Amino acid sequence: MMLPVLLRPCLRCPSSSVLFTRCMRTHTLHSEAEPLLRRRLPLRFQTQTRGRKSRSQEEQWRSRNRTVLTYIAAAGVGMIGLSYAAVPLYRLYCQATGLGGTAVAGHDASLVETMKPVKERVIKVTFNADTHASMQWNFRPQQAEIYLVPGETALAFYRAKNPTDKPIIGISTYNVVPFEAGQYFNKIQCFCFEEQRLNPHEEVDMPVFFYIDPEFAEDPRMARVDTITLSYTFFEAKGEPLPLPGYSYN
Amino acid sequence: MSTAMNFGTKSFQPRAPDKGAFPLDHLGECKAFKEKFMKCLRQSTFDNSKCRLQSKDYLECRMNHQLMAKEPLEKLGFKDLVDPPSSQTQKDTKP
Repeated sequence: MMLPVLLRPCLRCPSSSVLFTRCMRTHTLHSEAEPLLRRRLPLRFQTQTRGRKSRSQEEQWRSRNRTVLTYIAAAGVGMIGLSYAAVPLYRLYCQATGLGGTAVAGHDASLVETMKPVKERVIKVTFNADTHASMQWNFRPQQAEIYLVPGETALAFYRAKNPTDKPIIGISTYNVVPFEAGQYFNKIQCFCFEEQRLNPHEEVDMPVFFYIDPEFAEDPRMARVDTITLSYTFFEAKGEPLPLPGYSYN
Repeated sequence: MSTAMNFGTKSFQPRAPDKGAFPLDHLGECKAFKEKFMKCLRQSTFDNSKCRLQSKDYLECRMNHQLMAKEPLEKLGFKDLVDPPSSQTQKDTKP
């Protein structure tokens, strides 16, 4: 198809010099051929250009898909990692905000030595004693209340009497109300969580040595708390030791 | 008492005491000190700050009769009662 196009201008000018004509011919050929080529071969050209466009488009789409897929994969891996990290993060959050009555971090034994009593904040601690229905001890506090300040160690007494004719082993647990104040209530020594044996008709004094953390005075949630109630409950021990509390937070 | 199943409701988490449990005073060896402490409490309308000396005496009695692990009184929060009262600065900085 190209040949007759090229031959026509050749036939038109046969007398001119060889080189010039050849040059001219090639020039004119090219210049004349191009529009003709463009006009003559429109379909082929168009399909070629369409093919090139679609190819680049496809490549574009493919690269975009790849980036989107990598982003989604990264998000998925991030979610899985977050779900693993959530456990210690939640524990830290609970400790920081004191939700769920968790122990405040930083409670150590050396605090007793260095803490300063907050004299402005007087707190009344009331004492309550309970026994389980089947427990035959007479268990009661020896003082109904004590006034103290955070940062000061205090001593309180309970009395227990075994009125029966056989020895009874008891074990106790305690509770502090309000619950949020319970995290500031630290017992240095008491009589709970260990078996205590009382012989028949025996009466003993049971001391509780405790203090309230000085940080109690700085907690805004404790600003209205003026009374803390310490309540002990005695159960009869069946021989197995009561497991110490604090399985996940201590 | 506190079932941990319900999230949102605040529950109480009992904690073990720092130094464990007091052995029972079956023989009543420190009963006299305890009576002194209770008397002081009743007289001072149950103000703990006024009866710290008596509570220190009671704990010392317990330590002497092997009813309590021996420990320096500063560790039990009685630093102000143990320090000699001659120095003014030590009196002011009460732990």
